[in-house]
Amino acid sequence: MQHTREIITLQFGTYANYVGAHFWNQQEANFVYARDDGGSQLDDAKEEQLPQNDVLYREGRNDLNQVTYTPRLLSVDLAGTLGHLPQVGELYGNYVPLLQEDTQTEDALQRTKQDAEQSNLNTDGELDVLQQPTAAISEYQQDLLRNQVNTLDKDYKLAESCNSWADFLYARYHPRSFNVLPGLVRQSDVQTLATHAAGVELWQSADFNEEFCDRIRLYAEECDALQGFQLLFDIDDGFSGMASKCLEHLNDEYSRANFTLPLHYPRNVSYAQADARTSLNIRVVNSVLSYAQLSEQANMFTPLSTLTTIWRNNTLQSRQLPGLQWQADNLYQSSAVLAAWLDTMTLSYRLRQTPETLPRFCQRISAAGRTMTAAAMSLPLGMQQKPQDLIDYLDEQANGTMLAQLSPGCEPGTSHLLQMIVARGIPQSRLKRPMAQAGKQLQMAAYGCDSVSQMLQLYYQCAYHGSMTHATATPLPLQTQLPFPYEMFDANIDSAGFRLPLNGERKAGTRVMSAPVLAALQNSSKLGEHLEALHAQTHRVQLAKLQSYAQVALERDEYETALDKLLEFRDNYEDSHYL
Amino acid sequence: MASISLLNPKAEFARAAHALAINISAAKGLQDVMRTNLGPKGTVKMLVSGAGDIKITKDGNVLLHDMQIQHPTASMIARASTAQDDSTGDGTSTTVLLIGELLKQADIYLSEGLHPRIVTEGFEKARDKALEVLDKVKVPVEINKNNLMEIANTSLKTKVHPQLADLLTEVCVDAVLCIAEDKQKPVDLHMIELMEMQHKTDTDTQLVRGLVMDHGARHPDMPKRLENAYILTANVSLEYEKAEVNSGFFYKTAAEREAFVRAEREFIDLRVKKVIDLKRAVCDGTDKTFVLINQKGIDPVSLDALAKEGILALRRAKRRNMERLALACGGTAMNSFDDLQEEHLGYAGTVYEHVLGENKFTFVEDCKNPLSVTILIKGPNKHTITQIKDAIRDGLRAINNTISDKAVVPGAGAFEVRAYNELVQYKDTIKGKSRLAVQAFADALLVIPKTLAINSGYDAQDTIVKLTVEDRLSPELVGIDLSTGEPMKPADLGVYDNYIVKKQILNSCSIIASNLLLVDEVMRAGMTSLKG
Repeated sequence: MQHTREIITLQFGTYANYVGAHFWNQQEANFVYARDDGGSQLDDAKEEQLPQNDVLYREGRNDLNQVTYTPRLLSVDLAGTLGHLPQVGELYGNYVPLLQEDTQTEDALQRTKQDAEQSNLNTDGELDVLQQPTAAISEYQQDLLRNQVNTLDKDYKLAESCNSWADFLYARYHPRSFNVLPGLVRQSDVQTLATHAAGVELWQSADFNEEFCDRIRLYAEECDALQGFQLLFDIDDGFSGMASKCLEHLNDEYSRANFTLPLHYPRNVSYAQADARTSLNIRVVNSVLSYAQLSEQANMFTPLSTLTTIWRNNTLQSRQLPGLQWQADNLYQSSAVLAAWLDTMTLSYRLRQTPETLPRFCQRISAAGRTMTAAAMSLPLGMQQKPQDLIDYLDEQANGTMLAQLSPGCEPGTSHLLQMIVARGIPQSRLKRPMAQAGKQLQMAAYGCDSVSQMLQLYYQCAYHGSMTHATATPLPLQTQLPFPYEMFDANIDSAGFRLPLNGERKAGTRVMSAPVLAALQNSSKLGEHLEALHAQTHRVQLAKLQSYAQVALERDEYETALDKLLEFRDNYEDSHYL
Repeated sequence: MASISLLNPKAEFARAAHALAINISAAKGLQDVMRTNLGPKGTVKMLVSGAGDIKITKDGNVLLHDMQIQHPTASMIARASTAQDDSTGDGTSTTVLLIGELLKQADIYLSEGLHPRIVTEGFEKARDKALEVLDKVKVPVEINKNNLMEIANTSLKTKVHPQLADLLTEVCVDAVLCIAEDKQKPVDLHMIELMEMQHKTDTDTQLVRGLVMDHGARHPDMPKRLENAYILTANVSLEYEKAEVNSGFFYKTAAEREAFVRAEREFIDLRVKKVIDLKRAVCDGTDKTFVLINQKGIDPVSLDALAKEGILALRRAKRRNMERLALACGGTAMNSFDDLQEEHLGYAGTVYEHVLGENKFTFVEDCKNPLSVTILIKGPNKHTITQIKDAIRDGLRAINNTISDKAVVPGAGAFEVRAYNELVQYKDTIKGKSRLAVQAFADALLVIPKTLAINSGYDAQDTIVKLTVEDRLSPELVGIDLSTGEPMKPADLGVYDNYIVKKQILNSCSIIASNLLLVDEVMRAGMTSLKG
């Protein structure tokens, strides 16, 4: 009997929730609903090439006896980020729906009040209602509630107007999912939960710990064959400490694989009572402590950011993806880029009938203790519209520079690397032309390949010297309708995400609906440089001068140990001939 | 000109009288918010957040947490109240009220030119005297059901409707008495599990002399109800899953791989077999049944094998429930199945499953001598359950406090009135201006009976006069009867407060108030503003 191999996802921190929101939106955009006539909406993708949603989702039943299908997710964030979303989620009741017409809200409030008075908890007439001002709700969410979202024409300007990830969240979560830190309110200019040590302290506080661990346990109890955890967290602030401790807990309690993704904000983060330099130092210390923990606890971790480097990047130099433009410091847009990578990459263990499992996925390219890996992506894949086929496109890209790095400071190079590639959105028909019309294609070595993954494997064998590639492919493209920031695409990308020949432009008023993507996880000895760069930053840090760390009493020894661990971890990347 | 402004022209500061005014107004502001909560006749607040989340509460501490206070002074007072809650579980509203009132009374004298230092000296003397009075009036109690009922009832009546308070009192006291072995030491409240069940129509709270777990069997063929059950608690993985991710196995042929997999599987099967063997040994031929409760996972294959034997198996039990189970049913939690004996097993009269929507509950009841019990809270919605849960927590704390104090203090404002009278007399023995501060302290204490009276709809002055006069005449303490507004003897109606709560309030309030009074400069000059 084959069981679903479940995965539990955890998101710590605001930016992690931004990326998470895009990720879950993407999942729901890919849901295929059976049509009345028995067929499905998506005809060109075969059943077994679709993602197995049960890996990430659970089926439940709410109090009204409706079936719910929600992510197996736990998210932690500051108070105030949820915006209009009630903490208990919208599917299971237990809140007053405030966002409909005014009169209905009044009615709902009155009803709740009466209920509370009638239950013999409270005496009649002695109930004061204190109502806080209703949270602002984005236009997109308003339309979503009214069930009249116009994904085709209306421009919601989410990039400018979006204040929090709740504003563009299409997916709906289970009441267990949201964990708001009481008393820590999000501030627009500074990080409220600043230091690694503060996060650790919060994790250890009895109230939070008990409740949160219990929620993990409840998810785990439901799983027949839990294979592991996906963990996203903000490494720049205190959530890093919380996530490190959580990893420790997961390893102690469940001993399952974990795929961990530390996320760097695409801005220079500032902290309370710290100038630019102190802020940088706090950031360095947070990273050092987290890396030391990750090197021990994570099965594989991949730092993600859209910036080229995190340290002393005052001009906010951003990575460039050809065909894609985004504001470097925009959380909504940059998180969508990272989420696109995450969604594509994780497809490798989420497809139906894939033999891949999360433990093997983590193990494959992180040999010999090199558990830090680097992310790279090509979105949109530069392939042109018909008649160009994949084989032609790869032929043009002889030097293997299709991919742009998404891990800050990591340049794995083009030789001696281990990598995993996932390609999506390239239909079988675009692989190569049939024999009769092949012409020039016949002369290429790759013409013998019968599948996208096979062709990519061959391509990388030739392009990267002394490397090993594991390729997976699915014809399912990345869905780029709202709430994905479709406005990021250049004008010469057509609505299916392929490049228009020459300087052609997409018809005005049309949007890119979906796009092919190539995502990669890479590992090579060159990643050691990233660790070295981090260690170099620590020379300037004077721990004693960091007030916010002094407040939470970080022991000098603890910090020194972390530094040593970092160096030790760096040594794993030493031998350059190791494959 | 404050000296900081020479160094940093951008620093914000407030000096002397102004600084004091800021602190006093903040304390008064908080006091106004909390005033209406105090006592059994205080109002209940229903908080509706901007997103529609509902919370219903009367607990000062819960309210303070939800207000997200920005003002530095107010947040300091709020923290004092939180500390009060952490250490005693009651008296949070009182703390806030008293601090506010102390500052208010001090303000009268300060505006006439009395130095804050003298006020704080007077406060210290008055506090010591008040503590003396407290020690004098405390009533030693024998720990029995009746006495505990009285004290728990007083605490609970300030949180929920009297009818419900009576029910909860019974539940709380029974719970504590059930697990208290010698009634001398306070009990470990963790051994009382609070389990919530959201049920459409039912509002009910009951004590289960055993354990309720929030998960059930994951196999359709497992029995839903068992009688006369042996309970095996364990922390042993029954899943086929390589423990270490990096341990792989190497094989040459498909057959070899199969063999490896089978070998690994057998390892787990062996463990399952040991459980089954034990079950057969102790149950076969009798009417006994068998339940396995595991902290680790159990995979479908193992579940299947167990189900065939009629064993009810639960996986991923709460870590704390392992301890509770051993206390409730007897037996030991096993970390390995190598040497399983009958003596390791616990016993429960009935074990059954209850399904509510997507949630399953498993009841382990009718234990022989349960040293761990569960309070089961049922309510139609989340906020009702939370409200009851908060009340129960406070009730349990009140009972535990009594057990450790072995003494109680008459409630209904009686102590405050007595302390007032004693302080007024004591004042005359003090030389110098600090006697004014003693008077201020005495006046401040009266805020408690005053607020109790106001919240019940009586005239504050009227009540205070009656109470103080009555108190002077009677050797026994006199409090206010909230149903008539007349003086009464708390002992007659069984209104008692915790000794430790009162003591803590006197201590922390006078210290915080003194600290706030001595502040003569408030500045804000962070690192960011230093940059200019």
